[in-house]
Amino acid sequence: MSIPWAWFFLILATYPWLFVSDLVSSTLASSGLNYFITGAALIAPCRRLKRWQAVLFAGCVGFMFEAYRPIPPGTVAISLVTLAILLGNYRSYLRTTLATVQAAVVVNACVAIIWFSATAYQSQSPTDIYNLIYQASIQATLSGLMGLAVIIPLSTTQNWIMDLIGVPSAQDLL
Amino acid sequence: MNNHQKGAKASYIALIVFILIWISGASALHRFTKETFAEFQAPALQIVSKGSDLARYWELKSRSNEELISASRDLARINAALELRIHSMDDIRRENSRLRENARYTSNSEFFTVVARVISRDSSSWWQKIIIRKGRNDGIRPGSPVIFSDRVIGRVSAVHLNVSEVDLVTSPTFRCTAFLIGDEKRRIVYVRGDAANSLSPSKAKVTAIPIDYNPPTGQPIKVLTTGLGGVFPSGLILGEVDGGIRLSTDDNYKVADLNPAKDLNMIEEVSVLVPQYPTANEILLAPSEKIKLEEFK
Repeated sequence: MSIPWAWFFLILATYPWLFVSDLVSSTLASSGLNYFITGAALIAPCRRLKRWQAVLFAGCVGFMFEAYRPIPPGTVAISLVTLAILLGNYRSYLRTTLATVQAAVVVNACVAIIWFSATAYQSQSPTDIYNLIYQASIQATLSGLMGLAVIIPLSTTQNWIMDLIGVPSAQDLL
Repeated sequence: MNNHQKGAKASYIALIVFILIWISGASALHRFTKETFAEFQAPALQIVSKGSDLARYWELKSRSNEELISASRDLARINAALELRIHSMDDIRRENSRLRENARYTSNSEFFTVVARVISRDSSSWWQKIIIRKGRNDGIRPGSPVIFSDRVIGRVSAVHLNVSEVDLVTSPTFRCTAFLIGDEKRRIVYVRGDAANSLSPSKAKVTAIPIDYNPPTGQPIKVLTTGLGGVFPSGLILGEVDGGIRLSTDDNYKVADLNPAKDLNMIEEVSVLVPQYPTANEILLAPSEKIKLEEFK
């Protein structure tokens, strides 16, 4: 199988995770929170894929997320692409499981804050800044915890796909 | 400069190029990805929803015969009562048609109903919407009102081939005119969805309540649709006023919170009222050759 298409196969492997997290979010409908794991999905690909592949992966995941949400076009996609570039440039720090978990928590929470603030802006709902910060922090906390909870099974799935299609391991790239 | 640094520099240039492309064609790209992805995801949503219906079917099938007999007896009684009501409504309908003919008044606010199952709920503090299992193929059009019994659930915001998105009453994008029960003069108030706080129930807001409006004591204040604008039929329940009615910040009118008529987070099935004739909005927005004016003369 051709390695240049690795990013695409990785999207197919990641999509069920994103889909299930959206469906399960229905259970949180009354609380106004969402299970957000899109940021955590970036970590394993950024450790092993080439930069351009990681950028494509991040862009596509971002567009998929934005496709069915009222959000200023490109906000999440560009944030994810920027984070993918940063993670790709500092992939030597992502060698241990602990570092991977930390990165998942931080990246997921950061993207959640960007997404939440962008949606608040789009909705043009009158609210004060303290209320916005309060709500964004609740969503970011939940997203950080989600990053912590899903990073191991999610990255295991992604690594398995990358092994299958012959993407070099993270150690080989260092 | 080693390869790693060169790659890093190239990736930042790629990011700038990516942002520039996005700025120049953002809305077109967004529309394309939105429609493509909605169609791509629709079969998966339908499979999950049908699977859940199947599980419910098997759960019901495991019930005892006594339970089913009792439920069918209750349903037969309700049916009989409803048939009586329908008969009395027939007389009213005939009288209504006769009066309309006499007055030469023809209303085009007629709808056909499409019943749809709820597939998923997509909610945050900033928007509240549901996705239903019927779409363009079933005749649903954007802007159609969505109800459950005589209660308003929301309005169709986007239609795809086999699924549609519905903005709930509590969504900040929802707008509607209404009457308040107990207002003898039937003055129009304004209902709009309101951004909720996380971990608290979502609500809508009733604004433009006249200063001299006195709520009836000892009974909940229901908010009903006016039928103006031709989107919602008149007399549907939007909800009940929650808490007190208070003065607005500029003291020109009163405002109140509105509890939706139905628990929007638990609803499993809705009815979409699709207008039988093109609405004013559709006529204005559609290319002239697509609308046959003879249809609604």
